[in-house]
Amino acid sequence: MQTGTFQPSKSVIRVSPFEGYTSYAPYTCTQCAEGWCMTACPVGAIQINAAGAKDVVDDTCVGCKLCTIACPYGTMFYDPDSQKAYKCNLCGGAPACADACPTQAITFEEGVPADWLGGFAETRTVRLLHGNGDGRRDLARSEVV
Amino acid sequence: MPTRHLVVGGGTAGLNAIRTIREEEFGNGASPSEITLVSAERPYSRMVLPYYLGGTIAESHVFTATPASLAAWNVKTMLGRRAASLDAISRTLTLDDGVRVEYDDCLIATGSRAAKPPIPGVNGPGVHCFWTLDEARAVIAGVTPGSRVVMVGAGFIAFTILNAVLARGATLAIVEVAPRILPRMVDAACAEIVARWLEQHGVTLRTGATLTKIEDVRGQRKLHFKKGDPLQADVVIMATGIRANLEWLADSKIDLAGDAQGGILVDDHLRASVGSVYAAGDVARGRNLVTGAAEIHAIEPTAQEHGRVVGANMAGRDVGYRGSLLMNIVEVCHLDIASFGQWDDASADVYTAVRPERSQYRKLLFHDGRLTGAMICGPAADIWTTNDVGMLKGLVYSGVDLSQWKRHLQANPFDVKPAFLATRTTARLLPETVLGRPCNSPELPHSVVVK
Repeated sequence: MQTGTFQPSKSVIRVSPFEGYTSYAPYTCTQCAEGWCMTACPVGAIQINAAGAKDVVDDTCVGCKLCTIACPYGTMFYDPDSQKAYKCNLCGGAPACADACPTQAITFEEGVPADWLGGFAETRTVRLLHGNGDGRRDLARSEVV
Repeated sequence: MPTRHLVVGGGTAGLNAIRTIREEEFGNGASPSEITLVSAERPYSRMVLPYYLGGTIAESHVFTATPASLAAWNVKTMLGRRAASLDAISRTLTLDDGVRVEYDDCLIATGSRAAKPPIPGVNGPGVHCFWTLDEARAVIAGVTPGSRVVMVGAGFIAFTILNAVLARGATLAIVEVAPRILPRMVDAACAEIVARWLEQHGVTLRTGATLTKIEDVRGQRKLHFKKGDPLQADVVIMATGIRANLEWLADSKIDLAGDAQGGILVDDHLRASVGSVYAAGDVARGRNLVTGAAEIHAIEPTAQEHGRVVGANMAGRDVGYRGSLLMNIVEVCHLDIASFGQWDDASADVYTAVRPERSQYRKLLFHDGRLTGAMICGPAADIWTTNDVGMLKGLVYSGVDLSQWKRHLQANPFDVKPAFLATRTTARLLPETVLGRPCNSPELPHSVVVK
């Protein structure tokens, strides 16, 4: 949605596989209280949209990437084609991800920013870190494929 | 009588302080204070000058405030004038034209300027720095398609304008006195990857080269070196470092940490050693988030955070500052390079990984279970398929305990994402705000720019 292309590597939701690709977790911007990306932008190109999400104003963004090192969550991205930063803006209030998900794993509701994935990731990496009893270690690879 | 705030310097730190004062007053319903801004230049963002040079934005895009927007924020402006001296006892600033400004509290945010080595010819025609808007205009006028540009210095500033020089159709050679490029931003292994990448993209590099003279020969520049052949250039850009603008404070009794290059020593509220004076940005020697040491971090994010913390304190809040994290990111010819924290620390446990065929490099530095520094390098097309750039910042910033992950990360320095998620770094970071309050007050305009 954000880059206008069908290209999973440019998605603002990055899906992490766990335990040898037997479970997955989608990760995206929490719309944090600090708004690290927004306060870092030297030209005020990141603003809060009608949905309450931080949003990049394309015409103002110069592509300096300061927001990408300011955001401590890794949810600010840079599009080498448009040379602009981009992020989850909740599609202005009608998130396409929630519509598209065939298993309703993504829903859109009012809430407080939270660590939605920490507990899941912690349990799903136990075997990666400590083996699973027979000395074998699972692979957890974070790259989107 | 309303409190009289004086802000000296209209850069990132100064403008963030002004905006924060107004935000705080708006938030607590206080009656507005009086704000005076003294600035040698009309406020603009140095961060975006390279994009002006590269031709992707117009000059009007660089300004961060206009006379109208500052008037709308009820800021009294004294632009085009420089601070000449400060009397902290009588709380008076004297300007270069002799005008005196009294204040109740004062922010010193006079930033830095480009520094040139004392070499014959560095002030001659066709030799420029690239730091101020005026200097950017001169470089823009001088660099045209086919121009031969020699950049002296291969540090961060040089690298921020590298793409723009090439985009103007110039050929580029970079000379550096150190034995390698980017000596203060990346380590030798990473510098090697970047150097090879640049040479593949047509940039000439000469390291270990000591410039001795710039000669003007019939309207062209000839650069002479201690060793090796001279270089011919149409335009020379001196990117040989910056110097804090502190000389005007020599008689102020403010602790400049030893000498004029030391920076204004500030406490955890960014207060200088004399009463009612704050310092922020490139002139402030403040707390390093990771080590706790007092250091100058002449980077944009520090100027921004310093400015906001000072603004909140000037508005009457009691806001301590955790400290600033040294960090840089730069892209050259679609190769991204970033470093965080203490990336050059021989006492750390250092884990590195290279994928030479993909020009990828990672470096993680630990003290016990804590990530204290990190480096990431790779083609933009690879880097931005991951969440890693920001996650590395988050891990260093939060200081989260990675003890359980250390062995895995030693074997797989590229695999930071599961470590970030499973150590609940997000939960650690979410309550963190620089000012102890959310920034997302929708009723407040984010920028002082009135569009």
